[in-house]
Amino acid sequence: MIRISCLLALLLSLLVLSAADGAAQRPARRRPPRKAPRAAPARPAPAPVPGDDGQWTMPGRDYAATRFSGLAEITPSNVARLRSVWSFSTGVLHGHEGQPLVVNHTMYVVTPYPNVLYAFDLTRPDYPLKWKYRPYVDPNALGVACCDAINRGASYADGRIVYNLLDGHTVAVDAASGRELWNTRIGEVSDGETTPMAPFVVGNRVIVGPSGGEFGIHGWTKGLDLATGTIVWTAYNEGPDTDVLAWPGTFKPFYDKGADLGLTTWAKDTWKTAGAPVWGWISYDAELGLVYYGVGNPGPYNPEQRPGDNKWTNSVLARRPRDGALVWAYQFTPHDNWDYDSNAEMILADLTIKGRPRRVLVHFDKNGFAYTLDRATGEVLVAAPFVNLNWAKRVDLATGRPVLDSTKLTGAGKGDVKYICPSLEGGKSPASPAAYSPRTGLFYASTVNLCMNYQAAEIGRIRGTPFIGASTPYVAGPGGNMGAFIAWDAARGRRVWEIKEKYPVWSGVLATAGDLVFYGTLDGWLKAAHAKTGRLLWKFKVGSGVVGAPITWRGPDGRQYLAVYAGIGGDWALLSGDVASDDPADVRDPADFIRDLARYTSKGGMVWVFAL
Amino acid sequence: MGPLPASLFLLALAAASACDGAGTGGDEGGGPTRGAAAATPPAVRYDQHVPAGGIAPPGINPVNPFTGQKPSAAEGERLFGSMNCDGCHGGGASGWVGPSLSDGRWRYGGSDAAIFQSIYYGRPRGMPAYGGILSRELTWKLVTYLQSLPLPRDLPTEAW
Repeated sequence: MIRISCLLALLLSLLVLSAADGAAQRPARRRPPRKAPRAAPARPAPAPVPGDDGQWTMPGRDYAATRFSGLAEITPSNVARLRSVWSFSTGVLHGHEGQPLVVNHTMYVVTPYPNVLYAFDLTRPDYPLKWKYRPYVDPNALGVACCDAINRGASYADGRIVYNLLDGHTVAVDAASGRELWNTRIGEVSDGETTPMAPFVVGNRVIVGPSGGEFGIHGWTKGLDLATGTIVWTAYNEGPDTDVLAWPGTFKPFYDKGADLGLTTWAKDTWKTAGAPVWGWISYDAELGLVYYGVGNPGPYNPEQRPGDNKWTNSVLARRPRDGALVWAYQFTPHDNWDYDSNAEMILADLTIKGRPRRVLVHFDKNGFAYTLDRATGEVLVAAPFVNLNWAKRVDLATGRPVLDSTKLTGAGKGDVKYICPSLEGGKSPASPAAYSPRTGLFYASTVNLCMNYQAAEIGRIRGTPFIGASTPYVAGPGGNMGAFIAWDAARGRRVWEIKEKYPVWSGVLATAGDLVFYGTLDGWLKAAHAKTGRLLWKFKVGSGVVGAPITWRGPDGRQYLAVYAGIGGDWALLSGDVASDDPADVRDPADFIRDLARYTSKGGMVWVFAL
Repeated sequence: MGPLPASLFLLALAAASACDGAGTGGDEGGGPTRGAAAATPPAVRYDQHVPAGGIAPPGINPVNPFTGQKPSAAEGERLFGSMNCDGCHGGGASGWVGPSLSDGRWRYGGSDAAIFQSIYYGRPRGMPAYGGILSRELTWKLVTYLQSLPLPRDLPTEAW
């Protein structure tokens, strides 16, 4: 009997080991395309609209990240007839941030981990899949993804779909066949780096960055070659000028001048494990030849462990895409005490400010101020609160620095600092990008009305584990509504209208030439409002809460379509853990500040398509 | 099946030799050890797992030497912060990006040995292995802390 069980154990161990061995030797799952995709049936080409090809080829729709579409078939007078025409379960329950792409009558959907890429044929009834690409993604990345295993989407360029896998890889996939063209390791999971952001493509450069502001990473941005995936340049967000790629004569900041600011604004070696992640969106001005992106928080959250301004955390950086050279930088929140990342989108627009036409960049920071900057120089033209805030009194336009309320400063030595607004979820989350309509001249943003207490504590860094050091419970801000959808005049720095929402609003925004704006809510509604008045005109329950961004395109039949993901998650997978029902070994109570959200929604990943 | 790698042979041999004198690698919770080299893997048995063929795999069931000891639980609670466990599992182990460890439910088993194994060797969905930086003794204190957490009263039902 003993002999038999021993033999069994031996055989079983052999089986298990050979299976494990096979997995280890198979870094990426590859399968050849079964056959060449069939050509779409001949049909008349849709009539082109000037200035808008009816596609959605990059996260923010255009280089300026406006999320504005020139399509105007759906209008305030007919939006009531908007109905769902198709839906698809992604089979994944993590938070569905980001947006699909629509290129050449194909819709591309990247799921959260395990980062499947679906290609739907929009020329055929029922939108059947052309192919799906299922890469290998290291499950260990789940343990260093701070805030759910989300993905913010892909970019299309030169016949390729380019996106990031959670485990520190960027892949390029042939848009027609689904064949993997290259797979480049850009980050190191064991060092706390994950890569959920959407790559941005300018010319032959793919620009990517890591998450890990909660894991003590050393934040960077990399420029990859679109054709080969080779890493051409790496620019760190903190450290000496040689690492930051701030070269004399090229780097011309408007406010902070001097050498090695990424080094001298830190105590000792604290910059080496200081976070400064790049998890948001990127935009590009072709005339100036600059890309713009925001940098996230310094680590740890306990500011006493990192005296100094901590540049260039919580900043916007303007770089040359070709070689990564830093041209200017501006820090929104020096020496961050509140986890106010600046990864939110930088929307480029041409506005008239005090009678002068200006080329500006508009940014809704987590810190609650909306900034309008001269995008050639980095000068702050307007900075005004777009939500309730109390950590600062105002932004001094002469120095560019916030004027602080000293009673809201935090640190391990300051104990539990009460009622700081906004909370570290931000006045607006960088995960939910705003939109700009050149027709109304207004910006549209999903906002969050939460405040927090902040108790910092000394914390040690252990590589590959969280590096946080603060406890920060939330409460609803003034008024009790935890969110609002707002229209913002960035030339004057004032709110034009708002739609109050019971829960924080965490979706991206779509604005159209039909003078409609679309956004989603955490309790699972997709809504349409009049872009000029803010009147709510239409809503549809998509099931799970919306943390993605709606898009629109012109279909093969010439009609206007609209898509959005349902799938609550991201921070809300942590903050309202009771919206999860997929793990019998993980059952949580509701969060104190949002005790009934799970009454209205639950996890679930879906793609919805709408048309008149 | 192609030629077997040498490592596979070694492990198969180890599996066979374990049949002779079961449980030689057991950890009795002795003094603290430092570094991975000093850490002999404890043989473990997953009490709550379903044994294939109805036959439990061999091995002993290491028992937490500090069960119920309040000072050890308090030290474990301190470690839960200083080892950054709360960064993933939340304050009070109530769940954050990592699962709740205070709901009385366990992905990988809630026996002494299973919890020890999760901390010491890690788990494949992102739980780092702490065996290289935590002694076995301190790992047991973390286990003691988690086991000391009070269970919610009306756990399965959430009503509004």
